[in-house]
Amino acid sequence: MAIKGWLAKKDNTSGQELKEVLSERPYKYNFMKQSKWVSIASIIFIIVGIIMTLTRGFNFGIDFLGGNLMEVKFDRAVEINEIRNIMEESGLGKSILQNTKPDQYIIRTTPLSDEQKNNILETFDKKIGISKPLIQDRVVAASFSKTITRNALIAVAISFAGVLIYVWIRFTARFALVAIVELLHDLLIILSFYAITYREFNTNTTAVILTILGYSLNDGIVIFDRIREELRINKRDKYIDLTNYSINKTFVRSLITGTTTLFPIIIILFIGNEILKDFAFGLLLGIISGSYSSIYIGPPILVAWNNRFPRYKK
Amino acid sequence: MRSKVGNIVVIALFIIILGVCFYYIFIDGIQNSIKLGLDLRGGTQIILKPVEIGTEEVTDEAIDKAQLIILNRIDSLGISEPLVTRDFNRNIIVQLPGIDDPERAIDLIGKTAQLEFRIVESVDENGNPVLGPTLMTGDKLSKAQAGYNPNGQIIVSMVFTEEGSQQFEKVTSENVGKQLAIVLDGEVRSAPRINQAISGDAVIEGIDTLDEAKDIALVLQTGALPVNLEIQESQTIGPTLGQDSLRQSMLAGVIGISLIAILMVCLYRGLGLISVIGLIFYIIIFWGILAGLKTPITLPGIAGLVLTIGVAVDANVLIFARIKEEMLKGKSKYAAFNEGFRNALKAIIDSNITTLITAAALYRFGTGPVRGFAVTLAIGIFISLLTAVILVRAILFLIINTRIVTPGFIGVKVQKIQKDLKVLKEK
Repeated sequence: MAIKGWLAKKDNTSGQELKEVLSERPYKYNFMKQSKWVSIASIIFIIVGIIMTLTRGFNFGIDFLGGNLMEVKFDRAVEINEIRNIMEESGLGKSILQNTKPDQYIIRTTPLSDEQKNNILETFDKKIGISKPLIQDRVVAASFSKTITRNALIAVAISFAGVLIYVWIRFTARFALVAIVELLHDLLIILSFYAITYREFNTNTTAVILTILGYSLNDGIVIFDRIREELRINKRDKYIDLTNYSINKTFVRSLITGTTTLFPIIIILFIGNEILKDFAFGLLLGIISGSYSSIYIGPPILVAWNNRFPRYKK
Repeated sequence: MRSKVGNIVVIALFIIILGVCFYYIFIDGIQNSIKLGLDLRGGTQIILKPVEIGTEEVTDEAIDKAQLIILNRIDSLGISEPLVTRDFNRNIIVQLPGIDDPERAIDLIGKTAQLEFRIVESVDENGNPVLGPTLMTGDKLSKAQAGYNPNGQIIVSMVFTEEGSQQFEKVTSENVGKQLAIVLDGEVRSAPRINQAISGDAVIEGIDTLDEAKDIALVLQTGALPVNLEIQESQTIGPTLGQDSLRQSMLAGVIGISLIAILMVCLYRGLGLISVIGLIFYIIIFWGILAGLKTPITLPGIAGLVLTIGVAVDANVLIFARIKEEMLKGKSKYAAFNEGFRNALKAIIDSNITTLITAAALYRFGTGPVRGFAVTLAIGIFISLLTAVILVRAILFLIINTRIVTPGFIGVKVQKIQKDLKVLKEK
């Protein structure tokens, strides 16, 4: 059908030669050739991530472990040791301390009774002086992590199912499954990164990961769309060339959109406070991972799949 | 929408929308136009898990009733704009903006306030009373009040309803000479000996402070919760932390938008300028919607917003890249614009819908402020489709036949087109 349409267009004098030449689909960069090395790097990274997860685990925040978190503003700048000493006197030497400003600290402890908590705050007030109300004051029950984890897993499962069905309807089953592979790849890369760097993993992290799952496929879909279009109008070229051509054609767009999306995020990484940075960091990671998986992970699988079970020109 | 009139109508519609948005932004003053979530304005959020009392199952009705009772308790504390909602795990989420004493509020909300009257049957070896079955509960109270008894002790006096009064009289008359334990949430508060049948009211003793008595009176007055509540998470954020976050993300947004505008104009010249107009419309409409809907925006919501700013121009980048491509093939500008929009549309729709699917999953199954993320992401996608596709298209097609729209306007060099065409022809 499409060849017939193409032949018919040949009679149309205006674009005759152009059509003929363009259908050779010259491209500049051979992405498929580089993809082997990139995917090996990805796999190694993920394997290291899995090993770290199994041996050391994630650095879970109190959302997952349960416990108390207080951010206290002191009346003067204090050394971390001074606070550590006071905590040790109260029998909470193992608490995690983190200063956000010279006179401001985040204190994370195991679950405290109201009495214990008030004791510590009173001691701080007596020895250093603190301002109330506290900047942050959180208590999480240990059992709460089950709820969060379950919610996150359900959200991931539902969004995977949604994406699978949608891409299946709009494209084909192959594209849908490859889209899921891309998503899984991005998910594993982010999780591995958190496992390897031992960055704190909290509810905001799960929010970021879920968002990334929605966003990271953007590039992938744009490339799929171009391949789909080429498959329809170009029956002459090999699948691999056609794929390379499609990525070349969408590459500038991926680059520009990636840049515009990263602008505000990178600025937040520079000027934001801890909570904002946490968000921005996860988003940055996801955007980068999503961009390269859409080029180096998804399309090569499509090509390999077509080589094994040809549906289009090998 | 090829006709000139059609394009003017579209642009006019957008200007009207802009007007409506400005109305909502300025109606309460620009400072108050956006309602801030708890994590930005400061306040307390408590997530409570309903747990059955004894063998009673936790039904939806029980949770509804619990929510109402919690709301009544908060109201009597005089906290403004409280929010008591339920998530899909059937956890009750209580949000209290800017309160001074979060601990007292948490304490009050979580109290089951199950009042029971039971007879003391005997005393075990440790001196603890062994209680008989519950003869009466606190649901037939008409009033509870903190005060002092003639001896100067702190008490809570309770007045029964007519029905409760009769029941209390019956219970006491049948048990004259025995001790009647008044049990609040499983704790025996007092166990006076019944000297004669009593009707009308009862008293709780053994309270340390007047504040405690007031709290007990308050929870008794608002009624017992039909379920026990376990605190899953409580979070209090002081007002300064949120203001920091807000200021920093606003700044990042403004700088980010400026950089995006510069990049778009550098890359696509006149076309880029039009997309910047689209971006400005995008931001004002987004702002207007947040102001109009009064949806509180949370910190994750702001993160979502910042993400969508970059994504908002994506549709334009896709379209412009296609227009450039078509121009380089030697198409007329009208054909190139038309093809550019048509070819890019599928990719724009498909990529945005996949994002929407995830946003929907996140909203439905997210916990707490995470849902704010999903909401802003979804709103952003809808608006960007309107501004980046429909508005930009209308403006472009309105000016397409004027002399402004040259290849240079689109960011394509005339020489490059001619060179490319020459190369192609030679081949």
